[in-house]
Amino acid sequence: MSLKLPFSSLLLLFISTYAHAYELGRGAQINDHINVGGYFSSEFEAGRSDETFTLDDVAVMAYGDINPMISYLAEFEAVGFYHKNLSDGSDGGSQKFHAERLYGDLWMSDDFNIRFGKQITPIGYWNMEPINVLRDTTSNPLYSMLLFPKFLTGIDINGYVPNTEGLRYHLFAQKNHDLDEEYINIPNTHFYGFAVEKEFSMEWNGGGSVGEYITKTNQRTRFLQANVKYDDTKWQLVSEALLAKSDYNSREDDYTLSGYVQAMYHYMPEHAVVGRIEHYNDHFSDYKDTIITLGYSYRPLYPVSLKGEYQWHSQNEENRALFSFSVLF
Amino acid sequence: MKTITLLLIAASALFGAQYSVIISKKADVGALSAQQIRDIFLQKRHSLGNQKIIPLNLVGQEASRIAFENDVLGMGRDRLNAYWVKQHFQGITPPITQPSHESIKAFVQNVEGSIGYIPSSMADGSVKVIYEF
Repeated sequence: MSLKLPFSSLLLLFISTYAHAYELGRGAQINDHINVGGYFSSEFEAGRSDETFTLDDVAVMAYGDINPMISYLAEFEAVGFYHKNLSDGSDGGSQKFHAERLYGDLWMSDDFNIRFGKQITPIGYWNMEPINVLRDTTSNPLYSMLLFPKFLTGIDINGYVPNTEGLRYHLFAQKNHDLDEEYINIPNTHFYGFAVEKEFSMEWNGGGSVGEYITKTNQRTRFLQANVKYDDTKWQLVSEALLAKSDYNSREDDYTLSGYVQAMYHYMPEHAVVGRIEHYNDHFSDYKDTIITLGYSYRPLYPVSLKGEYQWHSQNEENRALFSFSVLF
Repeated sequence: MKTITLLLIAASALFGAQYSVIISKKADVGALSAQQIRDIFLQKRHSLGNQKIIPLNLVGQEASRIAFENDVLGMGRDRLNAYWVKQHFQGITPPITQPSHESIKAFVQNVEGSIGYIPSSMADGSVKVIYEF
């Protein structure tokens, strides 16, 4: 499913004409049933061999309540909207919009909500806030990109576990192809999982998940994941890890282990320094890397993000510097 | 229920709570914890028992709103702003706002399940007090 560029232009025109009140980063309320917004990000990367500029994500979204029990969200995004290699002068890009999310929510109670359609897989922290402007580094840890499908085209039954405080569950399932297979990190035909998250206090929360998916190439992977976060506004510590076991047709089973620990310190509300260490070890492809990232984040307003970072890889030729500018509107 | 309300009003007089969180008298809801109110105003929970809840915020930066955010939600303005920006991406909007304490009280009186905060001096028998700060 894809839309062409004029859709976003029309939407912006619609916002400016009909929005009741607008605050950057909060979207615009068109009426009681429609809120609209979107985001974009641009990145500059300097590696060993070349330098590139990318207008990476351009997305528009709409959401709202149809009635007190049913709500919806639709998001369309163009990835790699414009790309220019500053070293050799070549450029390109795709202005094709893909369905990033397209789902409805049927709210029965706080303990029982059904989300159906294409949605973000409810695993961990990074995957739930995957866009540049909400992240604290320009880059993503490999953990978040290579080990499980980032999206689910199916159902997620979720809510609070009855008679508990702050304990939520997700029971999700997919038994079909993705809504837009051009636009998913791991095209798959089956995906099942169970996730929990617990708020221990204002500062501490944690969670974990188990799941299984079968790729289009018939590779079956089972995984076990855990995450924990501390956030007191000044300091934020986040860690996630995942162990996956894959059954391959061509050879015996193999394991992949990946995780990261990230620390961020806000010395002023708008300014923060970020450090992350991550490890990735895929026995099947024999790809192993340890990456240290040091970065700086500046948000003149929260929905406006300017970030810079440098990465040191144990795979030495992959060291690189990244800078980005992103806005949520 | 009447006893709880009277106890909260008595506690207010003794310990000087400035503001009261109120709900319709018809709602089958007793005293709440700060955690429960926080979950409702952060749009994490939408009901109490079988009662669907509509949280109401005061528009602008009045002292009662700042006190509510700091003392009950436990979140300063920067953290709260970051929270709602992230919720916008998840398709969740903040509670609706009302222009004054009087309109919050009138809304609560007339719409079962609505919940808001007003100065304790405005709390009377027409609404049910479920928390004080």
